[in-house]
Amino acid sequence: MASKHVIATRHTKSIKNRFASRFLRSLLRMKRSDRFGGSRSNEGVRKRSTHRIKMAAYASMARAVGPSRTWSRALLFKLRNRARIQGVLRKRCLVSKKNKKKRVVRNKVIISREPSRTDTLRKLVPGGDSMDICCLLEETAHYIKCLATQVKVMQSIADQSLL
Amino acid sequence: MINKALLSAGGENMLHCTDMTVLDRQRARIKWQQEQQQLQVQLPQQEISYFSELNRVFQQAGFHEGGLSEVVTRSVKPDPGLVDNRWHNDHVVGFGVGPPYTNGLGFELNYGAICRTSSCPPAVAAAATVTATVRGAESVVSDKISSGIGRESSKKRKFDKVQNNSKVVAEEDTRDKRIKGRAEEGESNTSEKNSNKSRSSNNNSNKNNNSNKDNSAETSKDNSKVTEVQKPDYIHVRARRGQATDSHSLAERVRREKISERMKYLQDLVPGCNNITGKAGMLDEIINYVQSLQRQVEFLSMKLAAVNPRLDFNIDNLFAKEAFPACSTNFPTIGISPDMTNAAYLQFNPSQQQLVSCCGLDMGINPPDMGLRRTTSTPVSIPETFLDSSCFTQIQVPPTWDADLQNLYNVAFDQGRQTTFPVQPFTGSVEASNLKMEM
Repeated sequence: MASKHVIATRHTKSIKNRFASRFLRSLLRMKRSDRFGGSRSNEGVRKRSTHRIKMAAYASMARAVGPSRTWSRALLFKLRNRARIQGVLRKRCLVSKKNKKKRVVRNKVIISREPSRTDTLRKLVPGGDSMDICCLLEETAHYIKCLATQVKVMQSIADQSLL
Repeated sequence: MINKALLSAGGENMLHCTDMTVLDRQRARIKWQQEQQQLQVQLPQQEISYFSELNRVFQQAGFHEGGLSEVVTRSVKPDPGLVDNRWHNDHVVGFGVGPPYTNGLGFELNYGAICRTSSCPPAVAAAATVTATVRGAESVVSDKISSGIGRESSKKRKFDKVQNNSKVVAEEDTRDKRIKGRAEEGESNTSEKNSNKSRSSNNNSNKNNNSNKDNSAETSKDNSKVTEVQKPDYIHVRARRGQATDSHSLAERVRREKISERMKYLQDLVPGCNNITGKAGMLDEIINYVQSLQRQVEFLSMKLAAVNPRLDFNIDNLFAKEAFPACSTNFPTIGISPDMTNAAYLQFNPSQQQLVSCCGLDMGINPPDMGLRRTTSTPVSIPETFLDSSCFTQIQVPPTWDADLQNLYNVAFDQGRQTTFPVQPFTGSVEASNLKMEM
């Protein structure tokens, strides 16, 4: 396990810096675009900007990590296709609503079971659906490390900006 | 390491401890083999004499089928290269011995063979006595009689070579001298099956356990010692003593060990789970931790969204903040220091109300953050850090801020972003904070 630890520590130093620079850049970009947007109702703007900042944070972390990790790849894929998927989902909803009368409701036996711990973990870690437990644990470890880095950097940014 | 010391001591007892990792045993075995190779040349005559004696003893024991009388293979060492040359006959009979121990004479008798007789218990006892007589009163020799009826053809010992690209490197087998109660003759075909199946599956891993007692007479439990022609890309495995040796259970064992290894690593990452044993509890902790981290990210992004309007002239402060972590040499050991310095900065904020509210908010975050620290330092509550003057000593950043500031400026503002905020206000703020710190 020593090798794993070594790899981890070597990684996090550069990951932190990379993430920090990327995140700052994206924040600046957002700031600039917001300035031109003008003032709007506070609530909506805040929620949207919160969401955008969050997505920017995740995206910059995923890019800083690179495509070498399953979770970063899955995260980037999800972020890129988010708009596309949302559009598809909306279309599907509309279509299904139209066809509901025509469609015959088939009785399907859905085996519902309480989500086990591994299922919960799979949902938490991006890209965790298509991995066996062994790889899932490994990805979780790396993901936790990167998340902790992300939190620290964001916290320092937030604290700094308060001064 | 223990094994090295023991190796130097002659390696008699080195392989007893089950705490040795697979790799350690592997290395020990290889070293031992190298030593043996040197010794091998030196003492051929004694081996021959011993073998003749052995043969005599066996014949006295009345083994039929002449199986045991063919005790021949006395390879000094289960060196894979040597073994292949010597043991390749189908009628190798004798005792399968693991990693040969050096007996008092300086060489070890390695009887790798299979007891063909069906009357195993007497064979075992006889063999035990034989070995007892032969070996004299010294080092423990690991003997193994694996009786394979109809399996002699591919009685090979599996050698784990470091060059295998498998993660699990099988270790050398170490056997203890089994005197009585060693009823594993019933071993049977397990090794044969193992050799075949493990050749086909890449993920078998056996581990040898050294235990001095073996009371189980079950056929399924036994050491499997199979020598094998070196095949690349296979994970060579050895079954532990007293464990099942069919390929399914072996593969499962490998999988289980991998999972437990990962769980241990996660235990180091997640704070506060040292006393939790078991996968279920650990998984719960991990899930909670990941959820809390994600919640923190969301909360911080909300905070940043609220603060965002002020991002303009705070960018330089931001960089000062960024410079600090960049200065630190070792990220994981920053530990409490960034947090404490954050607290210090917060302390110096002239607007106390804002500070209090922030602290109130941050209290929610920081205790978990404190807990997050992987360092062994005890989590210090924030109010204490406010009062603790020792935190000032950690703020060695100011002198180096400017240089790093410049770097960060270049990094983020290389597009010629016009700086409406010249450096002066920033340095002013730095000086102000410096002054405050000196207070």
